[in-house]
Order: sequence, then structure tokens, then C-alpha cells
Amino acid sequence: MIKKKSKLLADQRFIVLLVILGLIIVYMIFSQEFRKYSSVLSMLDFSYYDVLMAVGVTFPLITGGVDLSIGTGMVCYSLLAGTLVRNYNCPVIVAMLLCVIFGMCIGLLNGVLVSVMDLPPFLATLCTCMITRGIGSMMTATPWPTLKQPGGWFHSIFKLTFGSGRSATKLPIGFLWMILIVLLMEFILNHTKFGRYTIAIGSNKEATLLSGISVKKYHIAVYVVSGLFAGLAAIAYSAVVPTVQPGTGAGLELDAIGGVFVGGVSATGGYGSVIGTLLGVMVIVLLKTGLPYIGLQSNWQQIITGFVLIGAVLIDIIKKRRAASSRTS
Amino acid sequence: MKKKILSMVLSTALMASVLAGCGSAAAPTADTSAPAAEEKAEEKAEEKPAEEEAEEEAEPEAETAETKDGGSATGGTAQFEGVKAKEAYNFPIIVKSFQSTYWQAAIKGMDMAAEELGVTYSAQGPNSESDIADQVNMINSAINGKPAGLGLAACDTSSVLDSLKTCAEQGIPVVAFDTGVADAPEGSIVCTVATDNTQAGEVAAENMYAAIKDVIAAADAQVRIGEVNQDATALNIQQRGLGFVNKMIELITADGKTVAVTGNEFYVNKCKDKGDEASADVVIEVRVPAQTTVELCSTEAQAVLSKEDTIAIFGSNQTAAEGVLAADANLSVLGTDAAAGDVIAVGFDAGSTIKGAISDGTMYGAVTQSPLMMGYYTLYALTMAANGDALEDVPTDGYWYDANNMGDDTIAPNLYD
Amino acid sequence: MGEVILTMQDIDKSFPGVHALDHVHFDVRRGEVHALMGENGAGKSTLMKVLTGIYTKDLGSIIYEGKEVEFHNTREAQDAGIVIVHQELNMVGDLTVAQNIFIGREFMKGFRIDDRRMIEESKKLFDELHIDIDPSTKMSDLTVGKQQMCEIAKAISHECKVIIFDEPSAALTEKEIEDLFVIIRDLREKQLGIVYISHRMDEIKVITDRVTVMRDGTYVGTLITKDCSKEDIINMMVGRVIYEEPKTKSMCPPDAPVVLRVEHLNAGKMVQDVSFELRRGEILGFSGLMGAGRTETARALFGADPKQSGDIYINGSKVEINSPQDAVNAGIGYLSEDRKRYGLVVQKSVIQNSTMACLEEYISGGFINKKKERDVTEKYIAELATKTPSAEQLVVNLSGGNQQKVVIAKWLAKNCDILIFDEPTRGIDVGAKNEIYKLMSSLAAQGKSIIMISSEMTEILRMSDRIVIMCEGKKTGELGIEEATQELIMDKATRNIA
Repeated sequence: MIKKKSKLLADQRFIVLLVILGLIIVYMIFSQEFRKYSSVLSMLDFSYYDVLMAVGVTFPLITGGVDLSIGTGMVCYSLLAGTLVRNYNCPVIVAMLLCVIFGMCIGLLNGVLVSVMDLPPFLATLCTCMITRGIGSMMTATPWPTLKQPGGWFHSIFKLTFGSGRSATKLPIGFLWMILIVLLMEFILNHTKFGRYTIAIGSNKEATLLSGISVKKYHIAVYVVSGLFAGLAAIAYSAVVPTVQPGTGAGLELDAIGGVFVGGVSATGGYGSVIGTLLGVMVIVLLKTGLPYIGLQSNWQQIITGFVLIGAVLIDIIKKRRAASSRTS
Repeated sequence: MKKKILSMVLSTALMASVLAGCGSAAAPTADTSAPAAEEKAEEKAEEKPAEEEAEEEAEPEAETAETKDGGSATGGTAQFEGVKAKEAYNFPIIVKSFQSTYWQAAIKGMDMAAEELGVTYSAQGPNSESDIADQVNMINSAINGKPAGLGLAACDTSSVLDSLKTCAEQGIPVVAFDTGVADAPEGSIVCTVATDNTQAGEVAAENMYAAIKDVIAAADAQVRIGEVNQDATALNIQQRGLGFVNKMIELITADGKTVAVTGNEFYVNKCKDKGDEASADVVIEVRVPAQTTVELCSTEAQAVLSKEDTIAIFGSNQTAAEGVLAADANLSVLGTDAAAGDVIAVGFDAGSTIKGAISDGTMYGAVTQSPLMMGYYTLYALTMAANGDALEDVPTDGYWYDANNMGDDTIAPNLYD
Repeated sequence: MGEVILTMQDIDKSFPGVHALDHVHFDVRRGEVHALMGENGAGKSTLMKVLTGIYTKDLGSIIYEGKEVEFHNTREAQDAGIVIVHQELNMVGDLTVAQNIFIGREFMKGFRIDDRRMIEESKKLFDELHIDIDPSTKMSDLTVGKQQMCEIAKAISHECKVIIFDEPSAALTEKEIEDLFVIIRDLREKQLGIVYISHRMDEIKVITDRVTVMRDGTYVGTLITKDCSKEDIINMMVGRVIYEEPKTKSMCPPDAPVVLRVEHLNAGKMVQDVSFELRRGEILGFSGLMGAGRTETARALFGADPKQSGDIYINGSKVEINSPQDAVNAGIGYLSEDRKRYGLVVQKSVIQNSTMACLEEYISGGFINKKKERDVTEKYIAELATKTPSAEQLVVNLSGGNQQKVVIAKWLAKNCDILIFDEPTRGIDVGAKNEIYKLMSSLAAQGKSIIMISSEMTEILRMSDRIVIMCEGKKTGELGIEEATQELIMDKATRNIA
């Protein structure tokens, strides 16, 4: 029993869950506005794209790499898709599919640069970050590229609305999708070859190679998955932001990457969990959208988020050190 | 030792030019000599100027009709009559970004003027209005091209001062548009083409007050008015935000109520009276997000809109106004009937999201500037400056619009998509 | 002992500048444990890498089960039934034991990896080998010894006929070694051919059937273990023609002052209670086999690794050395065995490298005084006869010997009186070696004191005034140059091994 308890406490995901609950309690005490259902709704609205980006980037981070192109990529894909919808009457469903395909293409490029050309992931994805940002900036010729259409079904993907006006009932079904996606990816991470080799590459690339595994192939796949999720995030982003501004998106990836680390992915790769990522991102989202409720100037949000991140990474390091010392003694 | 310093200077210069090169490569550029898509604009250009001129003439009347507009603004435009370019100038124009269609409208105005004058320009801008350093690099590389004149909408008014000093030294006339630079070095800025932002903020306050006056008068507890400003660094946003706050204070106190200002320190300290929050009848809460994005503006707006005592909110530019609308997506508290408990939202600028919200009654109304005319006048002013003529500033007005007058001939042309 | 299953004939392999294998012969029979022995760098590992396809041979043939074969990678060798248990562990620490054993050939249930079956199969495997490890434990939670067992289990789980152990006992405790021997005997029973590479003489006597000795990339001979003595094997290992005359007399006067005294230094497993003295103008050789703890001692002394206890006295007064910076300030310079990783910034110029350790001496008014920097560098280039086109040359373009000289210049520029040379001539050709030797002798003659760590017996005998011998982290002997012989050193270097 005692052993079980200490094991639970050692799991970073449990700690993060406590942090989430703690934050919610603090907010509820200090802000009666936060207790409203609408706050939950808007917080969830703004969490979907972060969650999707973070789920995707979990995989490169587990391999010890990183994908910086997801933020600008996401904005770029939603602009491209929105332009197609606005200017060329492209059906929304096709545009959504294209978001995902664009994402996978950039992911493939990242994968080839990292795995075949041997570029450091930071550099390779920094380049594609700039490229997607630039492509996004070019979409200024269309006013208001968006996937949303008046009276369309697009918005209902993430939020079902019954009734209208102030008395409307809104159900954040997007959160359900997030849970399903997270569970699916957690399964893929732990029970498929792709997931297994993702962990193996991050833990010991040399040994993985010597075990006769095509490290290149799986390394590329890792970035394609990250790109795919950036494409999904583009759909979610289009759904919540009134207008997608060309040329933006830089910095959005940092919220997602930060969330992944808070969720317990090892800073050096080799360990991670998608459920942890979901929890970690929720912490970031709570900090981002919750702090204004308790009247803190928003600059504090970033400062506090920074400290939370330091705490999360320290837990990882302390855990590793303890494991090492218990092994040698 | 000398050699060392020289090499340091050289390498810094090299770095700067490389960076500037990168910046301009990554940044969106619009060139008049460019694409076929411009054809549409050119077609329109032929009819537009006539329309605009009609508008100019009609303006005094419009002003009397729109009594709340306040100040007159046509003073500087007379000087442009009969202006002709002495040479086929090519002016670099640095805008704040291409993030919003606001700047697209300004470009449209420049296209029209360029056509009329037979000059060309190339517009550049950083990726976002927060990329202050990128913009400074763009200005510096434009200066290195020794242009006949430079059009500038500064993202950050203090960061461009060094560059402006260089312009003054090299005799490059600068026309500041959209945003004035208050502390510009002598001889650098020859003309400012900008909305009188203080006036525009006041227009917003006056119209909003008309809608909530009775609610404030009838209130038996403290009520709250929110203001979301995308930043506290750009002069135009500062002027607009303060124009709104100060006018609101003036109007409310004139009716015998007390006011307090809370929130962002800059605006609280700069307003004419920050009052006492605990005892005031009306609290004006000013919110500024960490970055100029719709998401973060929305988060700030949400925090204000969720408060039970909020009766009105003002988003002081397109991004902030859209943030207010995004915040309402879940709250659904905005409307046009303050007496029935609707929160009155006032926006700024146009764009299809804001226009849509005003026509369907979510947003009460907004103040629009005329980016099209600003762009148009900017090229005229640049041409005159390049010709060597003296110039006066060209203030342009902010116009109030709501569901009732959106279709009016005097308003509609300024409501870009 | 059964019939021969694997024969390697006339294997020849060269690397740029090194003739690593010179017509080597080696064979393995079914049901035998065949030891492969030799000093560090004798070519044992290279031979095994040629066998398993990591290196391609230049000449010679490999006959396996009656057919000539050539493998292009470890996978091919594995599939043919030849597996190697590497000296360095090749384990994915974040996966479980079972996941590691079956990595790359997981059991699948559709898309899903069948972890349960992998655990069951691992259990079976461990039962067969009498290993007590829970296959669902995370690999990084196991001790190094247990990880080694898993590595062996992984190797055996392939249908193998020949298994190579490359120094398997280096990281094991005595108990674990006993367990390992049980497994090896078991495999021998099953008629596998086993190659056992080790330095530990006593182990060889206990577990092996035949011994093949290599020296300097050549085949020396093969003996039946039970018919030979430990001394026979040592003689075969060291019995090379000594082409350099060993030093016969210490160059350091016996009454020279002691500049460095180390007392009871302890730093982890590899440095246990090491004490020694170093005199002015003396070259003190540190001899021992790989993993004896010599480098670790030097690193602990230099403050590069944390030490648990021990006192260091310089010129009679006690000093605290907790970081390399402390050591440098105390006048100790360390020339790493891996110059490129620890000693030099190879993409920088000779000047920048030479003055790196004492840059503050060249700074005037916030700027680096380039002229002074160049003067000093050029002085050392002349003094050490460094062959470089100019002081601006990037170090990466210099030969190994000249790179070593740049490192020496770095410490001389810092006015270090005590220099630790860790494998000073590794990767340096013979001509340059002699120059480095001359340089070391002249430095000693000028009154510098030198600690020289070397795995080359001839180098130790040629350069040292006195020799400290280490084994398994302990000092096992100290010899004056007058009494030292290769045999005596080798005996002490293997003495402690159980």
C-alpha cells in the first residue's frame, strides 16, 4: 500500500493533475467569474489547438528532438485552407483534409532534414518554421481566410450549440475528441512498433540502430506525425479564432512544447506519455487563460509559466539522479 | 586598435544588412509593379478617386450630420491640389505589418495615388506589429537605398528615432502615416498623415456613453466599462485609449457620477484622474495583453466580460475588437440594448468580422479610420516632399458607424473587408 | 570439443596509418571456450568486428560451417548465427528488459505489440539460463551486471552457433562473474562455439579451453589452456622485440624535492586509496591494463571528477582541488587521452588553442592583445618544433603529433610545473612519437614534473623514472626503472584480479 502510494507520487502526471486542481481551486477562490460555465467553455476552446500541437510534438521530443515549425505551420495551414474556402469555394471538408496533408508534407520535410540530412532538429525545424511563417504571410491577398462559414457545420465539430442567443446551451464536445485522440496516441506510443521505436531512438539511438531497426524511417515518421497534428491543430485554430492573421503563429509552438515538458516528457528524450502531455498543456492553458481572471497583468502569465516549466524539468532531473544513485548503491 | 574598431563596425554593418536582407525576404512585400491580381484594384482606381473626391466635398456636411465627430480634419488636404511628380519617384513604404486588412486598404489607396501621380512605391512590413526590431531593420535598409522619400507607420515610436535621425542627416524626407512620431528629430518627418487618434477615441466614448447613459444613471451599484488595448507602446493606441478614457471620465462626471480607472499601469497613470476604485460609481478597467494577438486580447476581454457589473467594452483597434468578439462567442452577453442588460461593445476599424458583428447586432458600433485615404495622401505628401515643396500635416478623421449608417455613401467606402 | 565451426584465415586489415591486422589466423570449435588475448590495441576487437561485419576485411577468408562467408553488418552475422556481446552495453534504458531482448523483432498481434508474449518468452529464456531478472523491469533500473546478463540473453535468443564475449566481466562483481561462468558452461554443453575476450588471466584459466594470443595486430600462437601457465601467456603477450632501448637509470636525482604528494585518494570504484609522490624533474609512469583506473586517478587529481576523500600536497602544502580550474591554478596541466574531445578546440587556430587556458594574461583594456598572443605562440612553436605553416593554422589541419604539441604549448603557456600526459602518443606515428618522447625528456630536464599514463609497455619502460602500477582501481605496485621489467609489470597489473 505504501509502495503504491509512493509510486503514484513519483508519477509526474499525478503531480501535474494536483497542480491543475490547485490552480482551479485558487482561481475559483479569487474570481467568481471563473466559476462560470462560460469560462470553462472558452478555456477549452483555446486549449484544443494547443493540445493537438502538443500531442504531435510529444513524439519528436521523446526522440530527443524538437519541432519548432508547428506554431507557424498551424497558422499557415489554416490560412491556406481558409483562402481556398473563401476564394475558390473549396468545400470545407476538403480544406480540412488539406490542412492535414500540408502538415504532413512539412513534417516529411522536417523528417528528411533531420534523419537523412542529419541536421540538428532545432535547426531543421527552425528553418521550416520560417518557411511556413513566410508562406503564411503571403496569404494577405485574401481578406479573412477562414474555414468558418455563416450557418455552417464547421463550428459544431468542437462545440455543439443548442438554441440561440444568451440562453443557448453549448457542449464542448471538442474535449471528447481530445480525450479520444490522446488515448489513441497513448496506445500507439506504448503498444505499436512506431511508438516503441520512438522511445528507443530517444533513449539510445546507437543501440536501436545496432538492433537492426531502420532508425531513419521511424525518425522521419516521428516528424510526419508531428506535422499531421499541426494540421489538425490548424482546424481547431480556425474554429476558435475569429480571423487568422497572416504571418503570426511564432511562439504558439512554445506553449505546446512547454506543456509537453510539464507533462513529464524527459528533457533528454526517451520517456514520455501522451496523457501527461494533455495534463501538461492544460496547466499552460490554465495559466494563459486563467490568470487574467484573478486580475494579474498578463506579463505575469509568462513569468509564472516559466517557473512552472523549471519546476517540471527539475522533477525530471531529480528523478533521474535518484534512480542513478539507487542503482549504484 | 583603429583597425579593430573599424573591423567591428564593418562586421556589425554586415550583420545588420544580412539581417535586414533576411527580414525582407521573409516579410511580405507588395510592389506596385507586381501581379496580375492588381488589375482589379486598378479597375476600381478609376472610379474610386471620383468617389473619394465626392466624399471630401461632402465631408463638411457629413460632419454636421455626425455631430459627435468633433474636430475638423480637412485642413491639410488642400495643399495637394494640382500636385505633379517631377520625376518617376520610387518610394519605400514601411507599414506596421500585413496582419490585418487595414493595411491592405492603405495599400489600395497608395495604388490609386501612384496611378494618378505616375510614381511607384514598394511596401514592406514585418510579420507582426510586435516585431519592432524587424521593422527598424527594414527602415535602415530602405535608407541605405537613398530614396527620394520614405513613408513610415512606426510599430514603436521610440525605436525608430535613430533611423529618423539618419534620415534627417541624409536629407531623406519622411512622411509618417497612421502613427505620428511625437519626438521625431527636427527635419526628419516633413508631414504626418494620421487619424487624430485622441479624437477617434473620444468619438468612441461619446457614442458608447449615449447608449449606456441611462444604465449608469439608474445603477444602484458600481458598474464597469472595459477597454482592451493591444499594447501600451504605440502612440496611436495610446492616444486612442487615453482619448476614450478621458472623454468617458468627462462625460460621466458631467452627469454627477464618480469614475475610477484600473488595470494597465500606463493608462491608469496617464489618464487625467484615476479616481478611487472603492467608492466610484463607474470603473473603467483597461486591459493590455502580453502580445498583440487576437487570442490574448480575447482572454483579457473574457476576464472583463465575465464580470457581472460590466456594462460596456471598447476594443481600441481591429485586433482588440475581434478579441472582444471572440470572447463573446461563449459568453453571449453583447448586444445593443443596454437597458435589457446587454453589454455594449464598441470596436475600432473595420474588417468583415467586425462589420458582420455590427450588422447582426452583436456589436453596438465602431469607429473607423480611413486607411484608404491615409495611403492615398501619403503618396501625395511624399511626392510633394520629393519635389521639394513645404508640407502641412494631414489629420484624418475617425468616423462613427453602426448598423444604421453602415450603408451610407460617406461611410461605406472606408469600411474595408 | 567438436569440429571446427569457424575459421578466419590470413585476415588483413589496415586503417589509414595503422596496420591493424596482419595475416591473422583464428578458429573456433563447437563446444569450446576459446580465449582471445593480447595487450590493448593488439587487434582483438578489430578481428571480431571484421568477423561480425562491422569492418570489412582487406584480405583473407572467413569459413563458417564449411562455406566462405562475408557479412556486411551485424544483422547478417546474427541471422547466420554469429552474435557478439559488446563490451559497451547496447541497451535502450527506457524500455523494459523484454522489450530490449526482442527489439526489432517484436511479436505482433495485428498492429499491437504483444508485450505479454514477449515477457513470457523472456521468462523462458531466463529460466533456461538460470538468470533471475523480471523481464518487465525497466532496463535502466538494473545494475550494470544484470544489464550484461540481459545482453547475453538477447544474444542467445537468436538461434546462434557462435557467441563472442568482448570483455564481459569488466563491469561485473565476483558473484556476477560466477553466474556468467555458469551460463557460459551451459552454452558450451549445448555445443556452441564461444569466443571469450578478456584481460583477466585467472578467468582464462578457469573458463577457457584454448587461448589464442595476438600482439600488435599479428597472430602469436594458440595454446591449450590446461597445458600452459599464466607466465607462458604473459610472455606471448609482451614478447615483442623491443626496438627502443628501455631507460636503465632514473634521470631524476633521488634527493629531488617532492612537488606533488597524493595521499589516500578515493573516487568511486575506479580509484581506491591511491597514494603516490612525484619529484621535481621526474617522469612517473602509470601502467596497467585498460580499466585499471589510471585515467580516473588523473581526472580525480585534476578535479575533473569528484573525489570522495584524499589529500593533495603541492610543494609540501596541502591544496584543495575541486575543479580543473583549481588544478590549473595550482600549476597542474592535464593532456587528455582524447585530445580532440577534451584537449583542443580543433576548429580554432594554433594561437587560440595555445592561449586558451590563460587568456586573461593577454587581455588589455578589454581586448585581447593579439601581438602578445602571437609572440608567445610563436615562441612555443619554435621551442616545441611544432610543424605548422603558421600560427593561424586551424588545429584540425595538423597531424596528431603536432596537435599534441599545441596542447603541451597550452599548458606551458600557463606555466604549469606538473603535467599529466594521458596516453601521449595514442594515434601518433612512430616518428612523431620520438619527438614527443624527446620533448617530455627535455621538459623533465628543465625541472617540470610529469605523470605519464600509458598502456604501451615499451613507452613506460623507455620514458619512466619510476612506475606506478594499477589494477582494478587500486595501486598494486611501484617499481624504480632499474628493477622494472615487462614481465614484472604485467604480473602486478594482473595481480589483483580474482
